[in-house]
Amino acid sequence: MSELFSLLDVTLLNSTLRFVAPILLAALGGMLCQRAGIFNIALEGLMLVGAFGAVVGSHLTGNALGGVATAMLAGALMALVMAVFVVSLKGDAIVVSIAINLLAVGLTAYLLTALFGVKGAFRPTDLQGLNAISVPGLAHLPLLGPLLSGHSILVYLSWVFVFASYFLLYRHVWGLRIRGVGEHSAAAQTLGVNVAAIQYGVLILSGVLCGLAGAQLSLGNVTLFVENMSAGRGWIAVVAVMLGQANPFGVAATSLLFGFTDSLGFRLQGLNLPSQLTEAVPYLATLAGLFLVAMRRRRALGT
Amino acid sequence: MTGPRAWWNLIREPLLSVLGAFVVGALLMAASGHNPISAYMAMIQSSLVGSGLTSTLGRATPIIGLGLAAAIAFRSGFFNLGGEGQFVLGGLAAALVCLHAPLPGSLLIPTSFVAAALVSGLWAWLGADWEFRFGVPLLISTLLMNYPARLLASYLVSKPLRDVASGLPQSHAIPESAYLPGAISGRFHLGLVLVVIAVMAVSWLFLRTVVGYRMRMTGLNARFARYGGIDVGRLGRGVMFASGALAGSIGAIQILGVHFRFIDGALTKPFYAWTGLMVALLARSRPVGVLVGGFFFAAVQTGGFGMERAVEVPRELSQVLQALIILFVAVGAQRPVRDLEEGEAHV
Amino acid sequence: MIQWVYFDRRPALFMTEGAKNNPPPALELRDILKKFGRVVANDHVDLCVEPGEIRALVGENGAGKTTLMRVAYGLYRPDAGEIRVGGARQEFASPVDAIATGLGMVHQHFMLFPDLTVAENVVYGAEPSRFGVVDRSLAASQIEQLSRLHGLDVDPNVLIRDLSVGARQRVEILKALYRRARVLILDEPTAVLAPRERDGLFAVLEDLAEDGTAIVFITHKLPEVMRLAERATVMRDGSVVGTVTVADSSPEEISRMMIGRDLPAPPTRERKAAGGPLLVVEGVSVDAPSGRRVVHEVSLEVDTGEIVGIAGAAGNGQSELIETLMGFRPTAAGKISVAGQPVETLSIANRREAGLAWLPDDRDGLGLALEASITNNLMMGSEARPPLSNGRRSSRRGCEEFASVRAHEYRIKSSDLRAPALSLSGGNRQKVLIARELPLAKRVLLAEQPTRGLDFLSAADVHRRLLDHRAEGHAVLLVSSELSEILELSDRILVMFEGRVVGRLGSAEATEERLGLLMAGAVAQATP
Repeated sequence: MSELFSLLDVTLLNSTLRFVAPILLAALGGMLCQRAGIFNIALEGLMLVGAFGAVVGSHLTGNALGGVATAMLAGALMALVMAVFVVSLKGDAIVVSIAINLLAVGLTAYLLTALFGVKGAFRPTDLQGLNAISVPGLAHLPLLGPLLSGHSILVYLSWVFVFASYFLLYRHVWGLRIRGVGEHSAAAQTLGVNVAAIQYGVLILSGVLCGLAGAQLSLGNVTLFVENMSAGRGWIAVVAVMLGQANPFGVAATSLLFGFTDSLGFRLQGLNLPSQLTEAVPYLATLAGLFLVAMRRRRALGT
Repeated sequence: MTGPRAWWNLIREPLLSVLGAFVVGALLMAASGHNPISAYMAMIQSSLVGSGLTSTLGRATPIIGLGLAAAIAFRSGFFNLGGEGQFVLGGLAAALVCLHAPLPGSLLIPTSFVAAALVSGLWAWLGADWEFRFGVPLLISTLLMNYPARLLASYLVSKPLRDVASGLPQSHAIPESAYLPGAISGRFHLGLVLVVIAVMAVSWLFLRTVVGYRMRMTGLNARFARYGGIDVGRLGRGVMFASGALAGSIGAIQILGVHFRFIDGALTKPFYAWTGLMVALLARSRPVGVLVGGFFFAAVQTGGFGMERAVEVPRELSQVLQALIILFVAVGAQRPVRDLEEGEAHV
Repeated sequence: MIQWVYFDRRPALFMTEGAKNNPPPALELRDILKKFGRVVANDHVDLCVEPGEIRALVGENGAGKTTLMRVAYGLYRPDAGEIRVGGARQEFASPVDAIATGLGMVHQHFMLFPDLTVAENVVYGAEPSRFGVVDRSLAASQIEQLSRLHGLDVDPNVLIRDLSVGARQRVEILKALYRRARVLILDEPTAVLAPRERDGLFAVLEDLAEDGTAIVFITHKLPEVMRLAERATVMRDGSVVGTVTVADSSPEEISRMMIGRDLPAPPTRERKAAGGPLLVVEGVSVDAPSGRRVVHEVSLEVDTGEIVGIAGAAGNGQSELIETLMGFRPTAAGKISVAGQPVETLSIANRREAGLAWLPDDRDGLGLALEASITNNLMMGSEARPPLSNGRRSSRRGCEEFASVRAHEYRIKSSDLRAPALSLSGGNRQKVLIARELPLAKRVLLAEQPTRGLDFLSAADVHRRLLDHRAEGHAVLLVSSELSEILELSDRILVMFEGRVVGRLGSAEATEERLGLLMAGAVAQATP
């Protein structure tokens, strides 16, 4: 028992925020798509492309922020492909998402070999990761300081985006239009709103956000690219969108929960537990989350 | 509908998708400084001739089998994304039976198949049960269940079941009496025959039986099926059990026919389950289409290796081509699965 | 006849010749041609509506009324002809252009966002904003002002999903007015309304017309035409038959123009000696998944050889009651029995076994699998019986013969029964449903809105089949929001309002007025 408590220390909470960021960023992207009526389950693939883009960009520019920019661009391009197939060509969003996820795995592996002649992993010695930002004033606070300070810029940005997306959805004209498109696209169309443009917009925005999520994975949490390194986090983000009922604060809360289990799993490895068990923790927690969604919906209908 | 026109309608879009994907693939190769024509030539030569063909058929066996498992579920309206976990658990169950069951050699093979089908069938059944009992979406639950299944198998063969002497995370070798007929030659084994029989059987099931009719109608419109008196919950549980059981049996085929032990990652690294899923999408869940499509995707993968050897185009291009095909197939195709929830909110 | 019929072209010519002080027509359609494939939906149609006029556009289903208005509203592009609004020629690429020139349309199926507020729905696409931020208080005050001005009572801050059908329609009208519509088109606006709500709508429309708004309302209900419209334009088979001044005409004349001949006499009903109840419902209550009670303790009986009609405006619990009888929803309380056998706990399959069958309102979403073949659609429910199968294995020949016999017997027009049901017209889809369900209704048929959306002749055919079914000694429970249908077919009539049976009448004592009062929730008036 005391061992368990020793796990719940500030470092765990601090690492939680690191693990939350990729899930939260991707989930916010998925949430915007959901609100515009697109079931985007390609977050996993978009994130992977972002992680790859980040490492390539950082390697080529010699600057981590160059990597972040490349990650956003890569995510946006992949999302653009998705938008062409879903919005313009009217392909089924689920099938297109599955194809995008598999394309991301294949394409990153192909380019890894074609561009750098390596297989499996890429870790150039000069690769620049994202610096930890020590927030002046915050760093010296007791307790909160070590918890909140010393993260990459993307960790802070992810929380800024929570509020930004709330403002967008519920205060801004675009948000109203996004929500209308998601609820009844034909009605939005007759009122002069360009449904296709809105759906392209949110998909590309989700690509950018997933790109940032990938950059956090490959330049923030670690500094390398490994094949298939998103490892199911995009799917966890999909569940976070469902569990958070596509509301920014709900999504943030569930991402926080899943990120905590992710970092707990990571932390448990220190306890001599089999790594497979600790790796399974976030997926089992997410499955449990799915049950919660279902139960809550049942209960909401029952009152 | 039958007749040549109907056939053409059925295969036109898949053919165009394949064509489109290969054109995009060629552009990708040209952009990364390779000659696409010589690459595609190398691909064909290394996958359809001689030992290449043998290798393609070996790869086609699990792909067709897992494609068929996915197709059973898709055509009935259930988006089973858990093929990978079901496949792995089946392989694990078969290996455990062969290693630990106190049975005479002749009974090892049938017993391991039954065990694989039961374990994986129940694993998949859980997804259906949760959907109908609690409203947990099957699409996501089956996908998430892949991870614990894979990690469980990985744990078992790297700790309690590990063949320590081998130095690798793998189980001990199964007795030779459990090898599938023909497996020892390394060329063709019984697995391919079993898979082809399964294709015929599922095709017959869909088109010539009452249950098959009910599965198809549920896949086209679940509300209609329910209205007509079909117990969709029972049908769905049965379908998911069957889909999982088939995926598990394919796991057994791989252990008993190819690997002869459970090797960590051997079933998941080649992406068999996902390739099978893509084949089911390409074939629109038609069993004969799965047979043809599965062979084709296996050839693309085998050809990918040949292409890498001959002209140094990375073999991952095969994966890119497959994903592109599915991207094109998604256009104009109906979603293989309908929403099972009833629309409560009418405006 | 010709003395009071004149053609639309005449006033149009008259206008262009002079009379400078007369304002130009609010909406003018000239020589509109609209084809769908080989089908001509609008065959060189003219229509001219003056500002401040209330014009009825009448005709049977399929006469081309809705198509014409969709052309006017920019939803369809005409193949030939021109559209003028306020005298100026317009080309509409989409409704957006039509709205910009001052047209508004209230569709039969509302175009509203259920989870947005009334205010958000009204301003959507034309939001008052500052730096991109929606000015919600300005929006609300604008809407309050508009609704006060025109008597369109609705709270701008509630969600659409919490509004009644009538209130949703008011929101649709507000949407048009907010966009300064000078021409308001309403497609079958009263189909979903209870009589009381209908009166409110008419008052609003009259008020708008007084202010100079031109109103076109599509309908096939003649009493409404007589009451509200100044003139009525009658369409048949894609063409305008003529325009009449309502005060100088009669419902008989207009219906003759609609159908092209005298109304066929309604089918005769012979009262057969009732042979004991086949369907008995005792105190059945139904709860929606949200827990709200939507049907309260309904009791009814349907005897052998009897049609019992349930009248009521849509959304008063009729659908939920029927779904519960069939086992599609759980019964919260009460008993249901078919020929003496209790069925309330049975599965849908077992209830069908007991002799229940159902013609659902939602034909395409529930009654058919549109992508499945016509044969497969006809098979449902019989698939496990000979000659279609031996219970496990299907017989292809058995299925095909079964389907072709049914298709012939029920006159389903299709060249190939292997084609998907999607390829059939609405009338033929309903025939597929009837061909499947009538033979399955060994005891009781639940018929829900059986003629909605069908043209006159198809509807008459459905009525004949229902009466034949009754004559064969079966029981029919008919749900319809068409009072004429209820009155024509039913031996006894129940009226439902807000989930309760509020009236029970014999066919002799039922009149449209009495039913209308009961449907509006006026005092219940039960007779034994």
